[in-house]
Amino acid sequence: MTASVSSPAVSLPANVARSGPSFGRRLRQVPLPVLIGGFVVLFWIITALTVSFWGLPDPIQIAGKRLQAPSLSHWLGTDALGRDVLSRTLYGAVYSVPIAIGVVAVGVFIGATLGAIAGYVGGVVDGIIMRLVDVTLAFPPILLAMTISATLGPGLVNAAIAMIIVWWPIYARLMRAQVLEVKEREHVEAAIAGGAGHIRVLGIHILPLCWTPILINATMDFGQVVLLAASLSFIGLGASPPTPEWGSMISEGAARFYSWWVAFGPGMAILTLVLGFSFLGDGLRDMLDPRSK
Amino acid sequence: MAYAFLARSGSLLKSATLAVALLASAAPIARAEGGETLVIARSMDINALDPARAFCDTCQIVLTALYDTLVGLAPDNKTIVPKLAASWQINADQTVFTFKLDPAATFADGSKVEAKDIKWTFERLKNIKGSPSFFMDGVTSVETPDAATVVITLAASNSEFINKLSAGFTGIINSDVAAAAGATAGADADKADKAETWFLEHSAGGGPFTLVSYRPDDELRLARNDAYWGKKPYFAETVFRQTQDAVAQAQLLQSGGADVAMQVDMDTAKSLHGNDVKTDIIPSYNFLYIALGAGAKSNKVPLTPDVRRAISLAIDYEGVIDFTVGGAGKSQPSPIPNGFPGTEGLPERGRNLAEAKVLLAKAGLADGFEIEAVYPNDNVYGVDINLMMQKVQQDLTDVGIKVTLTPATYPVWRDQINGAGIPMTAVYYAPDYYGSGQYADYFAMMPGTAWAKRAGAAREPSVINAKEAELLKKALASGGAEQEKNFHALALEMINDNIIIPLVSPNMVLAYRSDIEGVRYSACCNLPLSEISRKK
Repeated sequence: MTASVSSPAVSLPANVARSGPSFGRRLRQVPLPVLIGGFVVLFWIITALTVSFWGLPDPIQIAGKRLQAPSLSHWLGTDALGRDVLSRTLYGAVYSVPIAIGVVAVGVFIGATLGAIAGYVGGVVDGIIMRLVDVTLAFPPILLAMTISATLGPGLVNAAIAMIIVWWPIYARLMRAQVLEVKEREHVEAAIAGGAGHIRVLGIHILPLCWTPILINATMDFGQVVLLAASLSFIGLGASPPTPEWGSMISEGAARFYSWWVAFGPGMAILTLVLGFSFLGDGLRDMLDPRSK
Repeated sequence: MAYAFLARSGSLLKSATLAVALLASAAPIARAEGGETLVIARSMDINALDPARAFCDTCQIVLTALYDTLVGLAPDNKTIVPKLAASWQINADQTVFTFKLDPAATFADGSKVEAKDIKWTFERLKNIKGSPSFFMDGVTSVETPDAATVVITLAASNSEFINKLSAGFTGIINSDVAAAAGATAGADADKADKAETWFLEHSAGGGPFTLVSYRPDDELRLARNDAYWGKKPYFAETVFRQTQDAVAQAQLLQSGGADVAMQVDMDTAKSLHGNDVKTDIIPSYNFLYIALGAGAKSNKVPLTPDVRRAISLAIDYEGVIDFTVGGAGKSQPSPIPNGFPGTEGLPERGRNLAEAKVLLAKAGLADGFEIEAVYPNDNVYGVDINLMMQKVQQDLTDVGIKVTLTPATYPVWRDQINGAGIPMTAVYYAPDYYGSGQYADYFAMMPGTAWAKRAGAAREPSVINAKEAELLKKALASGGAEQEKNFHALALEMINDNIIIPLVSPNMVLAYRSDIEGVRYSACCNLPLSEISRKK
């Protein structure tokens, strides 16, 4: 009997049994938005990492006559100071991508940590942390970010600090809700009954089950951070000149409306990166969140 | 291929935005009954409408329309002509000015303009200690021997005093009307005067227009003073429509939503097309400059005269003009604009990197140094200051000077410049009247001037140039060629100070519908509204 039961498994090709579906089949199972989003985001990440090796004109230095329309020598034209718009647009990724990743990473770290503590400990600690969250979320994000940036002074680092302050409460609230749900499960009670310490219970038995919504939310937020950073730079609270930051480039282009190409490059960059992150986040949610199915 | 695609996108973008702008401009301006309305698209920088408190470019236009001045400035922007004062006499040492009022002059309410109104207006202007109070600096008394005579006595000779009286900020107020509204001219006027708000809703002058209404960030409406004693304006009503940027102003003008726009920059002006719109490109007396704070607390190296000269020699002035206004402007060597007394034959500023490097090496800074530039993040007279400073930053890199650019809001900049000082900044200036004295009073390194303080004279007394006060005194006590000579010498001293380094005097774009005539730029009053009419 035993032999007859085990025989079909033995008859399967060994390689299939070990590695599962082929890469091509697995790729086909990935939703199209995730593929598109992933590709676009990957493009910008690679650009941010390698653009300085592409041999483009210096984004800070004058590269030709001012306000030249797109041509073969300047594919996206030149700005009011004669700098190559394509070069500045691509170099913009060096600032926007790390800011997006940095702000979301720090926001997730702070928010998730405080949210987990609030959800697990409860009581007064929970009350204090969640009231702080409520107060922060009571302000419109752009207004709060503007106020903090204006107080700290212009600059990308200060803009990033302002955005982290705006962003962490979202993750705190999300993580707290997850922890509250998971800590009531039987395996957690079993771990506590077995004498596991608080840190072990939280770190090994609860948190690993809470990350999915955080990850999905974070992916969606990357695009929002890019947009907010560009908005702060647009109104002069973000990058200092002559940094080729997309928001400040659009601001310069807005003053020269009829030289449309000055704002076109950074505008397209923001559009593609934000859309890319949104597609990726949407797709990941469809794949990972059982409630969305 | 890429070119064709992008060009199409540009057309689409432009079309879509024009459509939005046209929809936005569809809100009609209510027209005056029984007459025509002139609409001016303008970003209004109004801080007050009280002549003793207002101080802004838009205020120059509005105050000149609402309040007549004792004297006027002719279209040549140099000659003083009679206005409320039909004639005047100046004593030999230019300390006593006697004005005879025109007997026909009346206020908008029909009452006669009397000497007491002039005395009250000038004393209030002085005592209220507002931004334009400096117009009365040096005035020791205003006497009224009779109802038609005013005698103004100054503490020291000032051949340019009469020029000051052409500025709209010295417009004559109907003292009875204003006093009834809580205005006072007493020595405690800075505290006792309660009329600032009243002036935002009413006018009490005798100019060609009266104030109908003012809604901040929306519109300002003037009505023709039908009882005006001089030549009555053509338009029954003039409306200033708040229009923030140059592109929106150009689009309003193009669509017929506005008749006049005078804050359109050169790049945007090129987009104006068709026979319906006319643009005059004229030289202006406005200019933008960088200023060095020798006594700023945050200086990393001493900004000695050699270092300041090195900075001035490292700047590519022609390039600045090209990159900021597309070449539509001129350079200006001294803080006194070209065309004002004493500026003829001044040496042009130019770029000399070799000499700049020698000077830096002499100062022990052969490897350059770092300096912070904080400036208002504004776009004025068609120049984006941010852009201008990026060009300066690039130029100074060539001699090893690394400039960190920190744009700031105007209030933040003002606090910093008047507090700890700023190592390098960039600002702008427009004249209030025709005369070089105003520039010495503001920019010269004389004790007490605005820029001597801002340059840090308290911390670095060496910035004070003792010759300048003496030269100004001589210039104001003289006239004709002697005055020219003294102002010229003063301008040379100010050039050598290298505290104020003018970069560009941009041309002004006067854009208006082609059926409008009489649009011109005035050195005292910006845009004389009463001269504008529509072609028949």
